Amino acid sequence: MISHKEISNKELVKEVYKLINENSHLNAFITLNEDSSLKKAENFDNNPSDSSLAGIPIAQKDLFCTKNLRTTCGSKILDNFIPPYSATVIDNLEKAGCISIGKTNMDEFAMGSSNETSYFGNVHNPWGENLVPGGSSGGSASAIAAGIVPAASGTDTGGSIRQPASLCGITGLKPTYGRVSRWGMIAFASSLDQAGPMARTAEDCALLLNEMCSHDIKDTTSLDENIPNFEDALNQSLKGKKIGVVKDLDLASLDNNVVEVYENSLKEFVSLGAELVDISLPNLSLSVPTYYVVAPAECSSNLSRFDGVKFGRRSQNPKDLEELYIQTRSEGFGDEVKRRILIGSYVLSAGYYDAYYKKAQQVRRLIKKDFDEAFSDVDVIMTPTTRGAAFEMGSKGSDPIQMYLEDLFTISANLAGLPAMSLPNGNIDNKPIGLQIIGNFLDESSILNFAHMYQTKTNWHMLTPEGVIK
Amino acid sequence: MDKKTVTTISYLSRLKIDEEKEEKITNDLENIIKFVDQLNDIDTSDIEPLTNPLEKTAKTRDDIVTADNLKKELLEIAPSSNEDYFLVPRVVE
Repeated sequence: MISHKEISNKELVKEVYKLINENSHLNAFITLNEDSSLKKAENFDNNPSDSSLAGIPIAQKDLFCTKNLRTTCGSKILDNFIPPYSATVIDNLEKAGCISIGKTNMDEFAMGSSNETSYFGNVHNPWGENLVPGGSSGGSASAIAAGIVPAASGTDTGGSIRQPASLCGITGLKPTYGRVSRWGMIAFASSLDQAGPMARTAEDCALLLNEMCSHDIKDTTSLDENIPNFEDALNQSLKGKKIGVVKDLDLASLDNNVVEVYENSLKEFVSLGAELVDISLPNLSLSVPTYYVVAPAECSSNLSRFDGVKFGRRSQNPKDLEELYIQTRSEGFGDEVKRRILIGSYVLSAGYYDAYYKKAQQVRRLIKKDFDEAFSDVDVIMTPTTRGAAFEMGSKGSDPIQMYLEDLFTISANLAGLPAMSLPNGNIDNKPIGLQIIGNFLDESSILNFAHMYQTKTNWHMLTPEGVIK
Repeated sequence: MDKKTVTTISYLSRLKIDEEKEEKITNDLENIIKFVDQLNDIDTSDIEPLTNPLEKTAKTRDDIVTADNLKKELLEIAPSSNEDYFLVPRVVE
């Protein structure tokens, strides 16, 4: 529409802010970037650009540092933090012409699967009153599902892109660990964290991923590997390609509707020419307990930097330095973040390190080995993304493990460092649900190919909640 | 997991747990540790721990200055600072 001059860049950005206001009940945004965004849009109107994403309004998860724009990570401890620099991902997207219209709400420090842990209040899912959008990238998912923005950035440590994508009926990709620079991302669990695109379609995810990826010397885990054009493989035929179907999945524990939706998708892929191959991931069920040792351990170390000394919120009137640390952290962190820091300190403490942390890392290798073996036979692996559709706020009760199991199917890809996507593949009681496609190391192209071909045959990704303009 | 352990790890984490939440958090931690204990049923003898999915040694780069000096900007966003330093309560009497 922009290139045909049906709408100016500025009109488009104005429309986005109008939609944000009309949808303020969703609580999808923490901070808006209106003046600067309107200025940028006006610039594009005056000096048309041929950058690939020129003028595209995009929402940025509030976990990425954005220069001169408040970055809270969903936490009280950072509610006044204005970074003096931007994350590499933000720089890359803005260089490509994206307009960062605001920062999206999220679970505090990305620790949560329902957006109920944000200091800035729950995000609502546009598919129904009181439904959670998933988490932790719930604000990004909700904003896309509500038609406010066409795309957003997200991050995924155990499913934080894919699970909200599933619950909000959008498409989201967690790339291979190391594909996208982590510089300027507020760290949760450094060996698992990865940023990725969220959008309505796989094709849009490919366009975004093209710009998000770069080899970044500022991140020592950033991969110096060839970055393909992710659009190239989108339309390849699936004829003869192999889909791994995990026979160890405990489908009996899932809602019948979820199983039916999943099996229908597999049939759709067969009709597109793909072949189903039974594979075994015998250690898959260990991924959640493994994650809940590794992630808290890394989190307790990473979050030690929030001490009230150099940036962020500081507690008032501490009597000495130690009280300054303790009060600042106790007042600044929410319950879930505290719980994970405590677990991390426990599994890393003397006497428990071998029994928990080392053990979990050994099991992590077993999980990765299972995938290595499976991928010698197949191109991608498919599972449901989530155990069910969006649930009601507060319905998981006060038992944290019930919430942790939300990420049962997604966590293993983070432990193994593999790319994985969720795309809409059905509706249950007028609530969307997603299919997960896991790819081999560095093979985002195959995932995008399978997803795009599926989206040329189905229209689940085009369904929107009532009242949303397509 | 008992109250004493929770007190110890809270101190290691520089966190103070509110008294009225102490019982709930002790129970939560107990349940989470019980949940991850299932890993102990797995035979991992001779399995090398996997600390990072890339298993690559971090690359070094040439020792040249690449970043701007953000001293002023960084001190400005600190809760308390003077022209040269971050300020904290007195440490040495």
